Amino acid sequence: MKKKGGDGRRLSGLNRREFLKASAGALGVGAALIGGGIGFPAIARAAKGKVKNPIKIACQGVASGPLGNNGDFMNKGALLAVEEINGKGGILGSKIEFNFRDDESKVDVAIKNARYFVDTWDADFLIGIDSSGVALALGQIMPDLNRILIVTHGSTNKYNEEIVFKKGIKQCFRSSVPLYQDACAGALVAKDFPAKQWAAILPDYEYGHTSWKLFKQTLKTLRPDVEFVADSFAKSGTVDFSSHIAKVMGANPEAIFSVEWGGELVTLIKQCQLFEVYKKVKYWMAGMGGAMDVLQGLGREYPEGLWGTTRYWFLYPDNPKNKAFVDAYHKRWNNYPSHNSESAYTAVHMIKQAVEKAQTLEIKELIAAMEGMQIDRPAGPCYIRKEDHQAVYSVPWGQIKHDPKYPFPILTNLKVFPAEKYYLHPPFTQAG
Amino acid sequence: MGERLLYLAVVGLSEGMALWLVAAGLSLTFGVLRVVNFAHGSLYMLGAYLAFHFIRLFGGNYWIGFALGPIALAVVGYVMERFFFRRIYRLDDSFQLLLTFAFVLIFDDLVKFIWGPVHQSVPTPPILSGAIMVVGRPFPAFGLFIIVVGTAAGFALWYLIERTGWGALVQATATDREMASVVGVNVPRLYTGVFMFGAWLAGLGGVLAVPMRSLAPGMGESIIIEAFVVVVIGGLGSLRGAFIGAVLLGMFHAFGVTYLPVFELALAYVTMAIVLIIRPWGMFGVRE
Repeated sequence: MKKKGGDGRRLSGLNRREFLKASAGALGVGAALIGGGIGFPAIARAAKGKVKNPIKIACQGVASGPLGNNGDFMNKGALLAVEEINGKGGILGSKIEFNFRDDESKVDVAIKNARYFVDTWDADFLIGIDSSGVALALGQIMPDLNRILIVTHGSTNKYNEEIVFKKGIKQCFRSSVPLYQDACAGALVAKDFPAKQWAAILPDYEYGHTSWKLFKQTLKTLRPDVEFVADSFAKSGTVDFSSHIAKVMGANPEAIFSVEWGGELVTLIKQCQLFEVYKKVKYWMAGMGGAMDVLQGLGREYPEGLWGTTRYWFLYPDNPKNKAFVDAYHKRWNNYPSHNSESAYTAVHMIKQAVEKAQTLEIKELIAAMEGMQIDRPAGPCYIRKEDHQAVYSVPWGQIKHDPKYPFPILTNLKVFPAEKYYLHPPFTQAG
Repeated sequence: MGERLLYLAVVGLSEGMALWLVAAGLSLTFGVLRVVNFAHGSLYMLGAYLAFHFIRLFGGNYWIGFALGPIALAVVGYVMERFFFRRIYRLDDSFQLLLTFAFVLIFDDLVKFIWGPVHQSVPTPPILSGAIMVVGRPFPAFGLFIIVVGTAAGFALWYLIERTGWGALVQATATDREMASVVGVNVPRLYTGVFMFGAWLAGLGGVLAVPMRSLAPGMGESIIIEAFVVVVIGGLGSLRGAFIGAVLLGMFHAFGVTYLPVFELALAYVTMAIVLIIRPWGMFGVRE
């Protein structure tokens, strides 16, 4: 550093800026020397740890109401990862500080929480979100908040296809399979059923409409002989599906497709049983039928033979890494992990991997680190697609069976397909 | 086609009957006490949860929950009226609003605290777990049970109000509270009694809801809105109006979902708007 002023005359001509620069430089060097030895505040430590301490991760999910299980599973999955990582020294020596809030599945609440997290709580990363509608709304404002958002549930493919790919909002990522799992993988399973007449009962918002549309499109291509005889869309918060069941059964379908989820799916299946739907309809496919909260919510009331999937099935893949995760989760929370748990757990690990690769919290560099990232997660091998920031991995469909080993029914007769086979691909012009 | 309509009518009736029990309590409480109880939906939720609790406590026996649930709610109603509402009758209506709203929040959190934030489920009692053929299509036996209970409750309420001494006192107090007091009616005690009865009805509504639906904190919110629509259409204070209003809403839902899915939700609200414009005191209400 150039020091202006050698003789007395020059020193008085030293302008203030240069003098301050010089003093700061001296202080900085001095502080770093001292800080290295003694516990000094973050400013001094920044030179050593490379990123701020703590790293703050904020999470939102539905923690109340009929869908409330989701937020609970999500929170616990994330916490397991945070505790694990902090126990091993954190990320580049920085501890993770974690915060969770209930977004009540409402856009205005989620946005309010997000702003609080970023503006007041100083979050470095945002993860979570169960509702597709909320994911889309929050995704739109990410350029404004300028933090990485990893959606761990909200299934709409529009989040990746439109917000990331078409609009170029690069802060958005997703760690869970989108509705390709319900609609496209579902069609691959459905094509082998003898059933020709299909009906559906679906939630009346983005997720329900898009899933059904994509399912119909995909199945029709594989089985030109199928017909779609009826469908009914139920408002969010529906507790009595009687009218919807009556409408759909009035068309005498052979098979029914549904993407109702959480407590609403529990109610729907219960009521379908009471209306003896499963005596007439031999093929029932539910995109969220394999989710832990639904399996536990229905318990012994879940009819065997119904088809279901999820975004992570705890018994698949049958390998040591997955087993270790399930055991650790069970030990910590005395329960089995739901898809939300694994997805949130993976999101935290994605953050760790990205920060370690980028060696900084600068958004642009983190984005670059996450694009194309390979992760070995409990759900199996996975990579984050560069074009649309979508996590690519396979999840099985299966049939419900009661198993004495577990206090809830499990999925058997698993059907797995390579994710590339059923995911839609950029530039997303062929469907949707 | 006729069979289809008949089947849908039965569906509508069962949905309506579940709503009627909640709306009846609401209407009664307003008609007599002049209290607009927003926490009435919470009473329905508490009824469902307490029944669920008793059912679990007694080894899965639904009928114990059915008997004890509403009684427990009557006790809750007693506490609410005697120690809270009674103090605010002479105050402005806005205090009523604040108090009932406070109860909504308190009950929601209480339920979350005691039973957890996640949804619960209870199987239908074995006798009523099958389906009965209605015009050749299966209809849940429990749904028919709801229709029977709702209708029976309707008759019982009518008899109680129109044909008994207590009913006469209730009607008198509803018409003119001061006069009733002057002729010797113990108005505060009557108020408590009516409120307890309204809570009992909400509890019964909750108990009936349990086997066919799932329970979750906040389940009171959706039903209270529907109950208000029913009561506005039928007329605040009119039990007959609440009955017809509830059945109407059930029918709108059943037929709307099949024939007018896009406008199904609007049907009830448009009707309410029309009633408010043409006859604001409701179809069977009393013009004040």
